[in-house]
Amino acid sequence: MECLQKTKKKVLMKGNYAIANAAVMAGCECYFGYPITPQSEIGEFMSGKMQELKRAYVSAESELAAINMVIGACSTGAKAMTSSSSCAVSLMQEAISYASADELPIVLVSVMRGGPGLGNIYPSQGDYNQAVIGGGNGDYQTIVLAPSTVQECVDLTYKAFYLAHKYKNPTILLADGLLGQMMEPVEFTEYPYPEIDNSSWALSGAKGRNGRIIRSYAPLAENQCVFLNKLYGKYKQIEENETEWEEIDTEDADIVLISFGSPSRNVKSAMKICRKEGLKVGFLRPITLWPFPSKRIAELSKKVKMFLDIEVNMGQMLKDVKLAVNGAVPVEFFNRPVGNPPEVDDIVNKIREIMK
Amino acid sequence: MAVQTFKLPKSLKEGAKFSFCPGCDHGVAVRILAEVLDELGLTENTITATSIGCSVTIYDFINVDAIEAPHGRALAEATGIKRARPDKCVFTYQGDGDFASIGIGESLHCALRGENITAICINNTTYGMTGGQLGPTTLLGQKTTTSPTGRNVEYYGYPIKIAEHIALCDGTAYSARVSLDTVANIKKAKQAIKKAFEIQMKGLGFTFIEILSTCPTNWKMTPEQAHDRVRNQMMEVFKPGVYKDITAEKTV
Amino acid sequence: MEKNFVIAGFGGQGVLLAGEVLANAFMLDNKNVTWYPCYGAEMRGGTVNCEIVMNDTEEVSAVNLKEADFVVALNQASVERFVSKVKKGGWMIANSSLAKEIKTRDDINYVFAPMTKMAEEIGNIKMTNILALGIAAKVSKLTSIETLTNALDNVIPPHRKNLLPLNLKALKIGYEYDLLHA
Ligand SMILES: Cc1ncc(C[n+]2csc(CCOP(=O)(O)OP(=O)(O)O)c2C)c(N)n1
Ligand code: SF4
Ligand SMILES: [Mg+2]
Repeated sequence: MECLQKTKKKVLMKGNYAIANAAVMAGCECYFGYPITPQSEIGEFMSGKMQELKRAYVSAESELAAINMVIGACSTGAKAMTSSSSCAVSLMQEAISYASADELPIVLVSVMRGGPGLGNIYPSQGDYNQAVIGGGNGDYQTIVLAPSTVQECVDLTYKAFYLAHKYKNPTILLADGLLGQMMEPVEFTEYPYPEIDNSSWALSGAKGRNGRIIRSYAPLAENQCVFLNKLYGKYKQIEENETEWEEIDTEDADIVLISFGSPSRNVKSAMKICRKEGLKVGFLRPITLWPFPSKRIAELSKKVKMFLDIEVNMGQMLKDVKLAVNGAVPVEFFNRPVGNPPEVDDIVNKIREIMK
Repeated sequence: MAVQTFKLPKSLKEGAKFSFCPGCDHGVAVRILAEVLDELGLTENTITATSIGCSVTIYDFINVDAIEAPHGRALAEATGIKRARPDKCVFTYQGDGDFASIGIGESLHCALRGENITAICINNTTYGMTGGQLGPTTLLGQKTTTSPTGRNVEYYGYPIKIAEHIALCDGTAYSARVSLDTVANIKKAKQAIKKAFEIQMKGLGFTFIEILSTCPTNWKMTPEQAHDRVRNQMMEVFKPGVYKDITAEKTV
Repeated sequence: MEKNFVIAGFGGQGVLLAGEVLANAFMLDNKNVTWYPCYGAEMRGGTVNCEIVMNDTEEVSAVNLKEADFVVALNQASVERFVSKVKKGGWMIANSSLAKEIKTRDDINYVFAPMTKMAEEIGNIKMTNILALGIAAKVSKLTSIETLTNALDNVIPPHRKNLLPLNLKALKIGYEYDLLHA
């Protein structure tokens, strides 16, 4: 796969390649990974491209190794990433907890497939919880970005590197198998964000200064209290500054559809069909799954009659929607447990049914 | 001279159709394994912990109890099975990636503990199931989807010689490398598998067989070309032989 | 306006590539387009298919559509699997070299063309996919042969460029196929 250039021209590209190329353009210096379908193309692209550019690439022996290699690279202030999927991202949970405590800018691309366990290679949104809540120990929070088109895969990959470094926080790009395999025309602009100066904390050799220690070991409870309060202060800042969502036609809406990732495309189509029928339907798509647009949903819950949350899982974002709505109005749910997004007609029928 | 009739081993599930690619050695390996289980009368007393890779479907073909372990964890789960039920015959059937990459920790420690388990590792120098990426046994110079210009030492380091490493573990009772490229070698491979199971059932320690195997699909070769590659390239680096056999007088 | 295509056949017939060329053509025509393979098509044989959704009004298309405006089926199994997906008034464009010329529906249009045979005649049955694409493009009236020519040039990798003339020939023969007698 050839494509490392700024393009004014659009190129037709698979989501996985687009993510990889965007990472290279974002200045990713190190890629570490272990193959797993449906995202192996990311590592395949990186293996050739990073060597060509004399940057670092390692075919790690496992995901455990891969993500700890990312931690090592990030501790020196480098832009580094790994990519994986579902059952293999499970293996990375320990490292994500450590990286959160270490406040390291690791970037993880997680391309969801069917679970739990080995599951299958169909698209899925079953790892919303894995990304947003996580399975590591302790109080921590990752930043999670969810693209819905191939262009957004590019834009949010840039953003993932930026936010990770700006906030020194693990950041996850949460895509799904459909986006990974899908081709759409994309444009690569230059990396649009400022470079973050990390000279105040990165491990660079203790020349002319005392040695720096990046660690999570906190033998005194008191220190840990101070640290956690500081960490959560940072999270609050991220919530205030970085929450992002797409919203259409909510002004007069009776019902607002909520959906993220690739299925939101079908939800949006369904909304437009309903509008043509005169149904007052609005649409809200969280782009950052954390920070979640809870505030906006809470505001909307004061004027709409209900929400319909649509996911390709058993209802994981649903609880965040319900928390935001806080009982003000009903929150309905429509899903497919795993696979491609629900068909547009089926969503339209569901909307008609609940609006009756 | 005795007449040989072609019979499917009883340990193979009736009507099972291998889902391996045409010409893949996985099919031959599963078949001789089933024959050994038949011949030793072990089928109904066996539990396997399967691995993740093209090997995973083995539970669709061999009629024994099975648990599907996560990628690389088969020998940990097998250890649990054997410790809980020491009278059972326990084996794993793993790929080179599963055994020697993500599972290398489990593999070495299982051997070091001398668990009475038989592990079979299909070495096809790649991650077959995920589309042919570079794995722990990928040969120097070999092109894969993650070594597009060939395996070079600077970026990828060296391939691992699995059978030799396992032989070095004190808990290992038997470690051999075999191939499936000729009828004679298939017979040898079967003898090695049989020997391993016999040693396991005597409780003498960890037993291991590395099988040099083909992946025509990802190597982009015909089955014949693939067997030529096994002979001419793989055997150069991965020399067949018995690397440890505590029941024999002398080994390689 | 939104139009979608399904291209289906067995592994090795170049179904995904034909779809990619078509998607590329729509991109060159400045339309929004999405290509995706049918998931779960494993490495090991079986039928392969992809869907191409073209849209010149919306910025983002829905995916996993219930119906298709055009189905290009390169073998019998694909005809059987996808005939019910063709929209009323839509098109089933089938390779009669490998599929029976039987019309099971009277509310859709059929084109039967001996695509494999035609590809053989120009010297390479591997051109079946591009030949089929030529026919589909003509039937759909949604893109031109000029655009498709550029799209082919985009999609065929540098080390395969020697195959470009033959591909273009297949495209042209498909595009100029006499639909009236199909
Ligand atoms: C934790 C985890 N990581 C990655 C994968 C994806 N995966 C499935 S099989 C496989 C490699 C298989 O290679 P090998 O063990 O050599 O077996 P082969 O298919 O070559 O027989 C990988 C990486 C997975 N299922 N789980
Ligand atoms: S991918 Fe390779 S190892 Fe797997 S079944 Fe096919 S030929 Fe065998
Ligand atoms: Mg292998």
